[in-house]
Amino acid sequence: MAEKMKKILIVDDEEDMIWSLKNNLNHEKLQVDILTASSGEEALEILKNTPVDLIITDIKMSGISGLELLIEVKNRYQQTGVIVMTAYPSPEFKSEALSKGSLHFIEKPFDINNLRKVVRHALREDNLFKGTVAGVELSDIIQINCLSRTTTALKVKTSNQEGIIYFLEGKIVHAVCGDLHGDDAFFKILAFNGGTLESMKITEAPNNTIKSSFEALLIEGARRMDEKNSSEENDSFNPDALEIKNAPSTTSGKKNNKNKEAAKENLKTDNIDKEAIMNSLQDLLTEFTNIPGVNTACLVGRDGFLLDSIALSGIDTEMIGAIASSGFGASESMGNQLGKGAMSMTMIEYANGPVMFSPIGNDAFLVIVADKESNLGMIRLKIKKHASAIATTAAI
Amino acid sequence: MAEGKILDIAHISFLDMIKVMITMGGAANAKGTLIRNALATADKIKEVDYGSFEDFLSAIEDSTNPITQVEGKASHQGDFVFGLAKCPFGPSISNYTGVFEKLPEGYADFTTEFNKPSNVTDKYRVGEGAGVSPFCSVHQPMRSAIADKIKINGKNIEIFQLGCKSGAGKKGFAEKWIAESGVAKEVVDKVLDNHMCCYYIKIVD
Repeated sequence: MAEKMKKILIVDDEEDMIWSLKNNLNHEKLQVDILTASSGEEALEILKNTPVDLIITDIKMSGISGLELLIEVKNRYQQTGVIVMTAYPSPEFKSEALSKGSLHFIEKPFDINNLRKVVRHALREDNLFKGTVAGVELSDIIQINCLSRTTTALKVKTSNQEGIIYFLEGKIVHAVCGDLHGDDAFFKILAFNGGTLESMKITEAPNNTIKSSFEALLIEGARRMDEKNSSEENDSFNPDALEIKNAPSTTSGKKNNKNKEAAKENLKTDNIDKEAIMNSLQDLLTEFTNIPGVNTACLVGRDGFLLDSIALSGIDTEMIGAIASSGFGASESMGNQLGKGAMSMTMIEYANGPVMFSPIGNDAFLVIVADKESNLGMIRLKIKKHASAIATTAAI
Repeated sequence: MAEGKILDIAHISFLDMIKVMITMGGAANAKGTLIRNALATADKIKEVDYGSFEDFLSAIEDSTNPITQVEGKASHQGDFVFGLAKCPFGPSISNYTGVFEKLPEGYADFTTEFNKPSNVTDKYRVGEGAGVSPFCSVHQPMRSAIADKIKINGKNIEIFQLGCKSGAGKKGFAEKWIAESGVAKEVVDKVLDNHMCCYYIKIVD
């Protein structure tokens, strides 16, 4: 029996883009049934009657934005994948385009072959979305808002806490959480343990208390989360425990305890799926070398013998492993001597850029060699995101 | 006049340096460093091809066999099982313990670390219980790596470390390599009654 053709819905208010994708996306290695919509509203109408495997949406559209569409899709059509297109260039965004997470990004203008590659990956059976908010991290949403220059207020709510982050034209300008305002409120929200997200339309923020770039805020947020009790690390910001809803829309997903439990279960599965996607250490290490400025990622046994690596040609990764094990071991020993407990991450800054170490399982550690312009926050986030998958894949 | 004990400063420094390495960088790192040193030494050995297994044994007798040159003469116990009567690190250990009574702190952790399964010990078929002191992490991989430079009648050879005995007489057995080599554990046990180290040589077809 012939395999049912996958359905893709392309959403963009630029007719040229729709025409181009409709006529060029199908290829020797990719045969899909293509539907199109020129707005988020039209996309939602189509989705009511037609199951779609994957949506490719522009982020900046009149009416319902790509972000709002994403939120709505996540609430109502959990099995549908989403690829977000953005016209705003950013090194971080470019690296995310190659990400194998459940959200996919691609930057305009894009190479159609790259898009096909992302689409093929997103359509893999084992890569379907299975959770209410599968793979959507608060930091992802923040980045989407910033990179798409969105003006919105993002409300994050847990059972006993609530906070709002305000974005004006993609800049984080204000945050409030209880008595806290500004940066402190932002970091507190970022560290929420689960909760719901709500995107609210605004035209201006009530205050302007945040001056830092979103990259700097996320880096600092990651650093602060690192410092939290390591035993709570996996729960400190559990992206997969978040639910998303889209107020003021009346079509936001219904939530009840049953849904929450189901979501939790689905999200556990999703984590496993995400790890299964990373079917080799090379895939996982590529997650790091795709970050602009990162030229080497090595997984090294604590004895200094290399387990796997991706490096620029000419770099002796065996030697890096041997030397790095001394540095890693020394850092860890110092922590022990000072009674600082287990090491979570360390970085040595050199004139030409940093070298970061992070333990992986009990018997190995990761070495990331980067240029000085590289986005350290992104590296840290990726380490946190992929450490357990690396340990599992490497069986360490 | 009573004669005092003489310290061999080379031995003492080496043993204390291992302790420093363990303290500074942890046992795993120290283990890796010693193994890398051992492999680097083995890499300096020239390749040799013996016409027959008998020629290989003769080279042990006349001390021209590269393995013999680093560990002394091993004796063939039959069926490609070898016993080494004297541990090459024996004099160092005796000299140290003769003065300080016991080996430096951290050595037990180091030995445990060496016996843990790892890529490098798998590659050279060492450890896995056959380590009885930190020095085994130098000796065993070095011997196996040297074996990579030796051929018998054009065929490669592989060494399986089967067991080892500490100066105090405690035997360590590498169950994994004993099983893979097909040598009975009783044979290994018996060889270790009269030897400090026991290994098996496989001629790879």
